[in-house]
Amino acid sequence: MTPAHQLLDRDGQRWLLAAIVAVVAPLTLSAPVWLTAVVLALLAWRYLGGARGRAVPGRGVRLVLTVAVVVAVYRHFGTVFGRDPGIALLIGMLGLKFLELRTVRDGILIVLLLFVLMLASFLVSQSLGLAAFHLASLTLCFAVLIRISQPAVLGVSEVARLAGGLVLKAMPLAVLLFVFFPRIQGALWGLPQDAFGGLSGIDDAMRPGSVNELSVSEEVAFRVEFDGAMPPATERYFRVMVLWDFDGVAWTRGATPFGPARPAPVSGRALRHTITVEPSNRRWLPALDWPAPPGAPLRWRVGHLLESPQPVRERLRYTAVSHPQLRDLRGEDTAETRGLQLPGGVSPRVRALAAEFHKAGDARAIAMRALAHFRQQEFFYTLQPPLLGQDPVDEFLFESRRGFCEHYASAFAALMRAAGVPARVVLGYQGGEINQAGGYLIVRQSDAHAWVEIWTADGGWQRADPTAAVAPERVEFGADALRRLMARGASLGRLSPELLRQFLEQGWLERTRGQGRLAWDGVQHAWSRWVLDYHRDRQRALMERLGLDARPGTLVALGVAAVVLAILGVYALGLRRAIRSRDPVKKLYRRFCARLARIGLPRARGEGPLAYVLRVGGARPDLAALAAAITARYIDLRYGPAPADAAALQALRRALRRWRPRRVA
Amino acid sequence: MTPVTLGTHRLYILPTRPGLIFAAMIAVLLLASVNYSNGLGYGLTFIVASVALVSMLYTHRNLAGLEVLGHECAPVHAGEVLAVRVCLHNPAGLARIAIQVEPRAGAGVTVARIAPYDQHWVTLTLPTAHRGRVPLPALVISTRFPFGLLHSWSRSIALDGSVLVYPRPAPQAWDSVRGHGDDKDAQTPDDGDDFAGLRRHRTGDAPQRVHWKAVARGQGMHTKEFQEPRAGQRWLDWDAVPLPDVEERLSVLCRAVLDADREGARYGLRLPGTLIEPDTGARHRHRCLEALALFPTTGPA
Repeated sequence: MTPAHQLLDRDGQRWLLAAIVAVVAPLTLSAPVWLTAVVLALLAWRYLGGARGRAVPGRGVRLVLTVAVVVAVYRHFGTVFGRDPGIALLIGMLGLKFLELRTVRDGILIVLLLFVLMLASFLVSQSLGLAAFHLASLTLCFAVLIRISQPAVLGVSEVARLAGGLVLKAMPLAVLLFVFFPRIQGALWGLPQDAFGGLSGIDDAMRPGSVNELSVSEEVAFRVEFDGAMPPATERYFRVMVLWDFDGVAWTRGATPFGPARPAPVSGRALRHTITVEPSNRRWLPALDWPAPPGAPLRWRVGHLLESPQPVRERLRYTAVSHPQLRDLRGEDTAETRGLQLPGGVSPRVRALAAEFHKAGDARAIAMRALAHFRQQEFFYTLQPPLLGQDPVDEFLFESRRGFCEHYASAFAALMRAAGVPARVVLGYQGGEINQAGGYLIVRQSDAHAWVEIWTADGGWQRADPTAAVAPERVEFGADALRRLMARGASLGRLSPELLRQFLEQGWLERTRGQGRLAWDGVQHAWSRWVLDYHRDRQRALMERLGLDARPGTLVALGVAAVVLAILGVYALGLRRAIRSRDPVKKLYRRFCARLARIGLPRARGEGPLAYVLRVGGARPDLAALAAAITARYIDLRYGPAPADAAALQALRRALRRWRPRRVA
Repeated sequence: MTPVTLGTHRLYILPTRPGLIFAAMIAVLLLASVNYSNGLGYGLTFIVASVALVSMLYTHRNLAGLEVLGHECAPVHAGEVLAVRVCLHNPAGLARIAIQVEPRAGAGVTVARIAPYDQHWVTLTLPTAHRGRVPLPALVISTRFPFGLLHSWSRSIALDGSVLVYPRPAPQAWDSVRGHGDDKDAQTPDDGDDFAGLRRHRTGDAPQRVHWKAVARGQGMHTKEFQEPRAGQRWLDWDAVPLPDVEERLSVLCRAVLDADREGARYGLRLPGTLIEPDTGARHRHRCLEALALFPTTGPA
């Protein structure tokens, strides 16, 4: 044992450095660059300074450095509380602790800090890759603990084997605890503001023309499993929110009261689907057009919108039932008031155009007329539209004429309202990628879409997608295909099916890559379902399946404790077998004594081998010679110079094998 | 002593201070995992906790089955360091790492490694303060293998027997006890300064004293005996040290014994109630020092 106050040697310092680098490396991707530089400098200061025999920097220096790190973190983040500043402070403290590293106890504390940092890095990312990486760095941390708390008698491979064996043996216990440890829903204390920073989702406002490049995130928004056949791409509209209010520039939600729980009169077929939504830190939940009111605990707002009672901070799984052909005629009064609201400053050109559309007849005909306008005039779909000024609708309709779904939805809805047709903008996702192997649909952030709903007297709110008029490929083949077509310079909406197929046909490499990507998504989906999202509900479901849900909790806990003890017991037996005396020489001699005991000449307690063989020789002169030879070999092996010679051992074994003393008649 | 095996019932285990901090850290990990409902956080927490749990078995196994075969130790003078050598035996095919042997009082010793089936002598050093028969200390054998987070130790192991601690020798001998033969009581009435007679030869007698003429005459080996040995026969006498303190008197006598022995003199020791006839040799010295060591503290009654 190395007492904890003993000095840590250079080799121990090197081991510690390796563990620090392993644990901190993934965090440097998200931590400020200057922090990484500072920590590297601190590590080098202590380690290289130690090599030149320089002492640990004095208390004053360390105090100043500590204050400097805290101030720098505050300056960078504007606070010292929260997830990211917390991680930054932990990394800084780690560097400072290494700077004052002197004793074994300091080293142990650093390793403990590393475990905490490992958990902190899981708050940033919970990917499969990071988990595998940290399983290795965790083993390294335990190896470092062994190396620094024991004198340097264990070789590198011995330490590695020991640490690896311990972690391996711990795995079944850890899995058991993971499955059965009771999960609590919700946070224990208030979470910092940025605890769920970096989560992406749809914004609850739309300002077409305010950005000149749509950022495309390949992050998964949600996955959908359908009961039965998957609907075709043109029907895969997942609504998320409805924007009512338009101020001439931006569309916002305005007041969206909780809706009537009473279901609308159902018409047409029903589609049951289960959605697993990624954390977004927002309450809204996507559902296929048009969902029926959900079961508890989900909430329901006017406009057929699903909502979670809390912001979605962990992957959430829920089932929804949709009616693609729904005709919900309720809410006409809302449509008449809110659905026709327009800001005063609508330009005369726009009003004139709307007035022309108005002549077409009823709402449906007016919409058709407007859609035809988009299709026939020179409108272009692009992801890099020009910026628009004070009156984006006017500028878009008569000047730029290029944009993506938001531009079209905004302009179309404004035109409809000006033409006296109630309209609203719907934000959501459209399309998605089918994972054949997994049997589910992947919807990414890049599939985000905006469309319009108009009020018709006979059908209630009906979908009208101006983007589909300009670029039908967007709706039919999805955002990804659209991007590929544009990358090849195809003119959208004017392609023959033949040309389209040609353009969309993927090379062997692309196909393979696509399949690989889907397979990997399947693995990640399983990983998140069974590891990351193993929360209270899943635990309860598993207990139900195991038939344990009816048993009292204490009984289950006792059962788990019993299994843990049983596993430990099995290990203990295995470990004990290793220490039970297995000296081959002793074993052979014991066999020799046992054979003599069988013929009535047991070895007396405390009788030395020489005295014993003399006595045996006296009692049975016929056995004397061989017994003496065996004893001589045994004494040589047992008391001769170590280590025992393998050949001599073999000789003893052979001599004993042939030697079967018999009782004399 | 009979060999002692560290059986399971003789071993205890508790966390060390870093071990307690480690437990607190596991609690922190668990709280953070619950609060952020972080699946991998739970995983990390449970793996770390399970490793700690399993390491308990390793700590225990590192000691279990170890044997204390025996011990030896030589007498010393009070104030010197007593060295007790203890023999540890590893009867298993598994190396024992970082075994600490600790006497009840005094500094422990760490054995870095005991190879499979090997024996290892550990030397424990104990300070001594007073003369007399000192019982050997009980031992505790412990380990913090593998992480230093858990401490396992054996029930204390008594070492049989005791060791003699001689009195602390005085820095200088007194002239009055430097042994001249003028003490009339101690001397035989004959004035003979030289030859006293012959006795049968014993092995170990100095060759100069052999009566070679008798050997030549074929009368067998005889040794000449003298009243006064060449190096001077001395009587080391309690009464010749007129000091009030018993311990100081014994210290002076102890020094005299050591000096006489070093000079190869024949010396005898006279203490109240004890008389040791003049002789030479290591055993004789031990007898004299033992008498001094065990002399009652209260002095002559």
